[in-house]
Amino acid sequence: MSVRVALVTGGTKGIGKEIARSFSQQGMRVYMNFASDTTAAAAASGEIRAETFQADVSDQNQVSAMIDAIAQKEGRLDILVNNAGIIRDGLLMLMSLENWRRVMEVNLDSVYFCAKAALRPMVGSHWGRIVNIISPSALMGRAGQTNYAAAKGGVLSLTRSLAREVARYGITVNAVSPGVIATELTSGMEERLRREFLAMIPAGRFGTPEEVARAVSFLCSDEAGYITGEYFSVDGGLT
Amino acid sequence: MDKGMLIQELQTLIIQSLKLEDVMPADIDPAAPLFGSGLGLDSIDALELVVALEKKYGIRIPDEDVGKEAFASVDALAGYVLKNVT
Repeated sequence: MSVRVALVTGGTKGIGKEIARSFSQQGMRVYMNFASDTTAAAAASGEIRAETFQADVSDQNQVSAMIDAIAQKEGRLDILVNNAGIIRDGLLMLMSLENWRRVMEVNLDSVYFCAKAALRPMVGSHWGRIVNIISPSALMGRAGQTNYAAAKGGVLSLTRSLAREVARYGITVNAVSPGVIATELTSGMEERLRREFLAMIPAGRFGTPEEVARAVSFLCSDEAGYITGEYFSVDGGLT
Repeated sequence: MDKGMLIQELQTLIIQSLKLEDVMPADIDPAAPLFGSGLGLDSIDALELVVALEKKYGIRIPDEDVGKEAFASVDALAGYVLKNVT
């Protein structure tokens, strides 16, 4: 079997970086996409045997150019993990249109752009894995995250529908919903918020990026070929 | 409108619109942050206050950026009302 080629969006930090590391350790050719933080990208490529690729996933032209370049260079693209995302939290009654739109563009439009471009090589080879990272906000809702929850809920529905479109080609499309995961993002969390979250998590602790990466790796394996249109929560029982 | 009078009016309006029990107008420090501090108000309480202020003074608090500025304190809120009252 030839070496698999994987692309992880938002792949140079946090959960995305661990997913990239896990793929790389399995011997895949890995591309870590990033938007703008060149320092983090340089650090990640020092740590992980993988390529970095700068592109704004909310820009269709940049996404097409990135995926075409990878598919051309490697002759294939087998795995796509849509991990890039942003939050712009705020209550809906006071939410600016800009904060609504930007969250939709980066979290939802990006999945359409990336999947659309990546499906061509996958359909061509009759094998593919797409994993979309969603959120407990999409499953149970969260005050202050109407924009993010709507975008991630959209990603989950896209996941289920796209799974039906491409199952015939040996391509699976699934989602993984990480709960509260210990990353740079949560290490800066206020103590009050940290305690509030911990009280909601039956496991009594935050998850690790490695635990999320393991679920993603499983869904991207040959063994998971009969699982599609599903989501896995990796959240310590939160939802 | 005199700012001192307006501050008193706002202290009362906050208590009435948010139905705060056992709080007197003078208990609300004009210089203290309105939300996430001593009064135990959270950002969802602010929505009620937005509607009350818009109704009473004909001002608009369209988004969170304006909201943050306006709700920094009762004093800041009085300044915001004075600047925008129609």
